[in-house]
Amino acid sequence: MNPATESKRVPQTERPTGIEHWIGLPAIKKKRLQITGVAADGQSRNGFRVLATLFAALVSTTAFAQDTPDYYRANCMNCHTIGGGRLTGPDLKDVTKRKDAEWLIGFMQNPKAVIDSGDAYATKITEASRGVVMPTLPGMTRYRAEQILKLIEAESKLEKSQFQGIKISNKPFTDADRAAGRAIFTGSRGLKKGGAACNACHSIYDLPALGGGHLGPDLTKIYERLKGRKSLSAWLMAPATETMQPIFKNRPLEADEIHVLAAYFEDAAKHSETDASVNRMAFLLLGLGLATSVIFLFDLIWKSRFHSVRRPLVDSITNAIHRGTPQQNIKSDSGVPPILSATLVGTEASNEHESEQGDQ
Amino acid sequence: MQVRSQISMVFHLDKCIGCHTCSVACKNIWTDRKGAEYMWWNNVETKPGTGFPTKWEDQEKYKGGFEKNAAGELEIKSTSKTKIVPNIFHNPHMPSMDDYYEPWTYDYQNLFNAKEGSDQPTAEPISMIDGKKIDVQSGPNWDDDLGGSPIYAENDPNLEGLTEEQRLQLSSVERLVFFYLPRICNHCLNPCCVASCPSGALYKRGEDGIVLIDQKKCRAWRSCVAACPYKKTYFNWFTGKSEKCILCFPRLETGQAPACFHSCVGRIRYLGVLLYDAEKLEEVAKLPDDELVEGQRDMILDPHDPEVIAEAMKNGVSEGVIEAAQNSPVYKFVIEWKIALPPHIEFRTLPMLFYVPPMSPVQASKVEDTITHNSENLFHDIDDSRVPMKFLANLFGAGHEGVVRYALAKQKAVRWHRRAETVGDIDRETADRMLREANCTREEAEAIYKLTALCKFEDRFVIPPMHREQAIEMMKEPHEHREEVGFGFVGAPRRGV
Repeated sequence: MNPATESKRVPQTERPTGIEHWIGLPAIKKKRLQITGVAADGQSRNGFRVLATLFAALVSTTAFAQDTPDYYRANCMNCHTIGGGRLTGPDLKDVTKRKDAEWLIGFMQNPKAVIDSGDAYATKITEASRGVVMPTLPGMTRYRAEQILKLIEAESKLEKSQFQGIKISNKPFTDADRAAGRAIFTGSRGLKKGGAACNACHSIYDLPALGGGHLGPDLTKIYERLKGRKSLSAWLMAPATETMQPIFKNRPLEADEIHVLAAYFEDAAKHSETDASVNRMAFLLLGLGLATSVIFLFDLIWKSRFHSVRRPLVDSITNAIHRGTPQQNIKSDSGVPPILSATLVGTEASNEHESEQGDQ
Repeated sequence: MQVRSQISMVFHLDKCIGCHTCSVACKNIWTDRKGAEYMWWNNVETKPGTGFPTKWEDQEKYKGGFEKNAAGELEIKSTSKTKIVPNIFHNPHMPSMDDYYEPWTYDYQNLFNAKEGSDQPTAEPISMIDGKKIDVQSGPNWDDDLGGSPIYAENDPNLEGLTEEQRLQLSSVERLVFFYLPRICNHCLNPCCVASCPSGALYKRGEDGIVLIDQKKCRAWRSCVAACPYKKTYFNWFTGKSEKCILCFPRLETGQAPACFHSCVGRIRYLGVLLYDAEKLEEVAKLPDDELVEGQRDMILDPHDPEVIAEAMKNGVSEGVIEAAQNSPVYKFVIEWKIALPPHIEFRTLPMLFYVPPMSPVQASKVEDTITHNSENLFHDIDDSRVPMKFLANLFGAGHEGVVRYALAKQKAVRWHRRAETVGDIDRETADRMLREANCTREEAEAIYKLTALCKFEDRFVIPPMHREQAIEMMKEPHEHREEVGFGFVGAPRRGV
């Protein structure tokens, strides 16, 4: 087993899916979900995973020590710059001067716990990040946190850090930008790095009948919600929610894509979200209509399928008797129902010879 | 020539008294289990009647058996390679439980545990499916002896083509007539159930032609249930596997007759080996309806013919089996005397269970004529019999009366021959004339009489040596195997894969 590949695999599999975060479950419940998730795994795989985690922990203190910049790039850069202004999270330039190392290390290892403890500074930065909580990163040991702080300290002293991030353009939006933004949103123009199109999970005011997805929120008013171009662009540069992060972490949006999307969202914010709810109703009605027509179609295709035999046979005749009308399917000569005629013929026949000599 | 052996059966309907002993013997041995309560691998039906499941012969409804397509090729009516996928979630030709019946028992505990009251406690019927009280609507013999109502008898699919008068005759009280039709799996030469199975769980045993379902391979598609035109494969809802008559092969392998044969009170059942030419199979199955009975007879080979014997030996048929085929009572009934006929051969599965059609009294309205008749036609009462010829022809001759009339005429001639011999109220000359007209000799008539009336166990059942020890030898030590068998399932059928 190659230790490097193994240890890389582990953080990915253990990262929370983010669904819990989306539907706003409290922290404890989320934890429990994760635990049960692991427990539900097969025994052998579980054992394998425990081994692999141990391995990863071992490796992280040694081999990964030199990889701190890589680790930073992979896990921190989505939300933080060093000297490039705030994205989702604050700019980390000179962060060691703002807060003591002990607090920072504690926060990095378990941000959620620090925030929940009611720490004043933690609450403040969470509000500044519009409520987005920094995820607990896998493999964030005390040693690793110290290494990252050292890296930030070193990078902060530089004129231009390698982690400064992308500059957000100030070009004015044109109609072409808005059209291109819409194309990206609907997926008719693919993202260059291969990220998923927005409408896979989001809807917006002007989508056609089937609309966009409903996993994420409606984005019609996103420009207003994120308070303008800068923070919207920052978000798009590194989407920080736990559902979006895994999708866009390795397939980030390009600067020009962010620009046109911002243009589209700026325009969208002028419309109301009510259109979207109409879409949703149309979607429901369309679904119901299709389901009904499919049922009728099936009925037509399997028209010659087996229908009950015995019950209709008995019912048709018992009903006829109860109604007092003769059966229709078998006509007797006298017009008397055969059931009755059988009895009548019987009485006539009793006057005749009773003979069983037919086979003599 | 591709000679194979097949264990075949003859049921002599003229001897059946409808006692259901066969059904009970079978039920006690094989289907007294959870999920199998409703199955009757052997059942006895009253004809005219709708049978079990209701109107099973009506293939417009049940879509069983084969049909010829425009190109003249045989096709399974209910399914095909292309139909299996669109029908994957629902087999559209499956009979429902109501068309069989909901099996029930009685709440006997209530007779002991009921609270004291002003009435006698009763044992109410409870369903054997869900254990709740049920209102019994139908059973496997609901129309036994026309007991249900004329509803069932009047809807017998074999009444097709009968005149109104004939139909009325059948159901009129005191003119009424019925006979019994015991049914088991026909172990067909061209089994539709085997052809339809998508998982290949059904197979026809090479050494004796018994059709079986591998309980480990069955994947609950239930194609066989829909495909069998005789509705003799059943789905066990508890194990999730289909089951069918196994012709008591564990009994046959130890030299015993199948339970239903052994227990038959009227001694109507005969069992023996037939050798047949498998190369002709496809050609025969495609013949027009009126040639099917003859075609099937052509397939069956003479076990005394040296060429057939040589070919059979070459094909691995053992000497013991060939000897059994030479003594087979079935060969005599079906080929030598031609008085046993396959049921509904128009389903094109080539059933290997043959029926000797039953004699019946003449129609009540013709009784006077018969007593006083001086007609030259000695066989006129066959056409005037209470069970219309057309009815028997629909059942045993694919709608064509010729083969049925031949079988009935020969039976009548044999009776008159014996009357001339023992009672003496018929003169020898008339009896001989009848034998001649029925294409029968005195010797043949004696042989028919002996095998019909004086047959002993060894005459009725000529069971070939199965040589299981040889078959087992290929897989394991025969003695070891012998110690392992005989105590129920080696691996009981279980739901799932």
